[in-house]
Amino acid sequence: MAVPPRQAMPRPGVLTRTRLRAIALVVIVVAVIGSFLAPGAALQVGVLALYAAFSTTRMFFAFVLSLVFAIAYGTAAATNKHAGEVLIPILDILQSVPILAFFPPALLFFYYEFNQSAIGIEIAIVFLIFTSMAWNMAFGVYEALTTLPTDLREAASVFGVRDWLRFRRLFFPATIPKLIYNSMLSWTVGWFYLVASEVITSASANLTLTRPGLGSYISNAGNSGNVAGILLGIATLTSVVLLLDTFLWRPLSVWSERFRMEQTAGGPATHATAQYERLRWLPRFPRIRRELNRRLATVAHRWSRAASPLDRLYGSHPKAIRAVRWIDLSMFGVILVLVVVAGITGLIGVLTAPIPAPADVYASELPLAILSSLGRLALAYGASLAWTIPVAAWITHSPRASKYATPFLETVASIPATALFPLILAVSVGLVGVFGLEAELAAFLVALFAMQWYLLFNIVAGMRSIPGDMQEAAKVFGLKGWTYWRRVLLPSIMPSLLTGSITAWGAGWNALIVAEYISYGDRLYHVGAGVGYFISLTTYAGTGSGAPPGFAGQGQLLLLSVLSLVVVVLAMNKLLWRPIIKRASTRFRIEIQ
Amino acid sequence: MTNDGTILQVKDVFRSYFESGKEFKVLEDISFEVHDRDFICIVGPSGCGKSTLLREIVGLDRPTQGEILFEGRPVRAENPQISMVFQSFALFPWLTVSQNVELGLEAHKVPEEERKPKAKKYIDAVGLAGFENAYPRELSGGMKQRVGIARALVMDPTLLCMDEPFSALDALTAQNLRDEILQLWANPDLPPSAVLMVTHSIDEAVYLADHIVAMSPRPGHIVKVETVDLPRPRNRKEPEFYGWVDEIYSLIV
Repeated sequence: MAVPPRQAMPRPGVLTRTRLRAIALVVIVVAVIGSFLAPGAALQVGVLALYAAFSTTRMFFAFVLSLVFAIAYGTAAATNKHAGEVLIPILDILQSVPILAFFPPALLFFYYEFNQSAIGIEIAIVFLIFTSMAWNMAFGVYEALTTLPTDLREAASVFGVRDWLRFRRLFFPATIPKLIYNSMLSWTVGWFYLVASEVITSASANLTLTRPGLGSYISNAGNSGNVAGILLGIATLTSVVLLLDTFLWRPLSVWSERFRMEQTAGGPATHATAQYERLRWLPRFPRIRRELNRRLATVAHRWSRAASPLDRLYGSHPKAIRAVRWIDLSMFGVILVLVVVAGITGLIGVLTAPIPAPADVYASELPLAILSSLGRLALAYGASLAWTIPVAAWITHSPRASKYATPFLETVASIPATALFPLILAVSVGLVGVFGLEAELAAFLVALFAMQWYLLFNIVAGMRSIPGDMQEAAKVFGLKGWTYWRRVLLPSIMPSLLTGSITAWGAGWNALIVAEYISYGDRLYHVGAGVGYFISLTTYAGTGSGAPPGFAGQGQLLLLSVLSLVVVVLAMNKLLWRPIIKRASTRFRIEIQ
Repeated sequence: MTNDGTILQVKDVFRSYFESGKEFKVLEDISFEVHDRDFICIVGPSGCGKSTLLREIVGLDRPTQGEILFEGRPVRAENPQISMVFQSFALFPWLTVSQNVELGLEAHKVPEEERKPKAKKYIDAVGLAGFENAYPRELSGGMKQRVGIARALVMDPTLLCMDEPFSALDALTAQNLRDEILQLWANPDLPPSAVLMVTHSIDEAVYLADHIVAMSPRPGHIVKVETVDLPRPRNRKEPEFYGWVDEIYSLIV
């Protein structure tokens, strides 16, 4: 019997070529503008490449840490029921707290733990990026393993596949598609935090804190009002993001398709595969792969030979295995507790340090600050929904639109909102500076940029997942216009819209923490009231006076504001989003089969 | 094997699930035996617990009460002498045909030099020569199940358990595979000694089995164990065949 022919795919490479063209266009335009506006900028190209390398290295460190953490944590939570009952709620909370709120305290903590050296700041930055990447990846591993078909588990069990072999042959491969997909998301989020952390460290008015990187470059350019510098920085950052995406993540996600569970026999190919297939033109470096395989095989062989006496020993003592597992788990627990305790005592040490004269920040302003930020986010959320739903419908229903708009939108979306901040502020000053509203508009726009992409891409995914049968049925029964929207489109995007909403709000809160207070062109801009402004004030109050930041600021107030924010976010998730999602997932879920 | 040729004994097996303090009986008082050279089909409507019973026999699940003995000793999941073929094939999508077939041998630490030729032998036996390096997604449903069968046989099982192995296949492919399974079973040079198969198709059971365990749901229990003495090869068009189908049908409905 012949091998069934592969699904007919759209012309390969079209979108990728468009992407590459988009990258080239951005680079050229910016280069031209840059050399006109600032001839000295040409000299900065080398510096920028170096800065890009610094920033990317930080990202890689954080990513490798996240990868190790995610695989260990996710596997433990998915394969050990008791561990899962503890680990998953912890992960849930970690994922929903606004990470950036913890950055100023964490920065201060690491900075002083490492004797005010650069290493402390670097660790703080990598730590922040790690906290933005790791949870989502750990959830991915957990989800992949819990949705692993029972049959495969049983087959492994029947054929005696256990322990390390089971991890290598079953658990790890099964997590690859989800792990790579979530890694891509994590990188996008990670860039946002990388820039944010570099901005925060350089905005601290304490120059010893600034570390070389693209984020600090953009931020410094903003501080000195150098628009060409801002543009150059943003363009470099965008190019790095797009290059990594094109040459690392896309090929990896094509490769990861090999590890995807098959749908039921003869099921229609999903849109996802069609999308990935277009990248098949990319070289897969067969020679390098073969070489790697050969080298790894000998290592693996040695490892398994070394491990087999141990395996045999364990195999003959099932009770010993259980005991080892318990010891394993309890050691993990002890280490976790130690780390948490050490962290908390360290933080308390920083926060309870003697407070000099209080700056002009008062706890009573906190509720108003949180409410103002909430209002800003609600506005940005409304504005995002207003444009993303129609555009998503347009993209999904017109192949031409999808072909040309998608690469463009993806490119714009790949620029972290935090990097756009100086530019947005410059525009806001120009637009509404006369009314003194520039900080308000800038904060709103940054929140908008942080939120809208999550909504757009989730809604597009939701619309694309409408089964072809259902769309044909809608056509056959003549559903059109508002009826079509109300009966088909809106209900089917509900689940993914809600997921997108949670993520968007999370990103929005984080964006506001940097967006409500910034120095630009020798001036400080800040909103009237906002929780981000409040946190910045408490962190950096008194930094100009020569005292170390945080000690002069109000430690307790900082802690209070961060915790209040966490409570608000958690309350919104638990009391607003989760119940809605629960209802939506039963009402609007499309049953496959 | 015990002296009288008994391979498997299922003795007074009960299985219940407990949910919020309530007991759901899935299996009630199941007893039967499998002997050398038996081809046994467990037939029953959906929800009669036949798949649960099979999972207990291969050691994936434990009875609430009663015991299941393989060659006189309680069953264990890792026992290579009991092998299983799955309804959904349960192939590892990231492993090639050959790697899938070798999986059980690898788990039992059979060195690679021995694994390869053995896997090749069974891949050839199920008619997949030349597809050793293909991935499951490149195969049709029937070919996938052949891989599943080769993977089970390569363990040299005494007892081959099959959970509705042909119900995810189209009718023609299923019929071809049924005949091939009969040939493999009849071949004394190849494993297994006995086959235990779960199916909801009475027609399939009468075509294949020499003993039919008829089950009925709520809770799952054995209505009757019938011995089908039709000569092989069996012909579906003969009145005797119909007679058997009708008889089993009247038992389980």
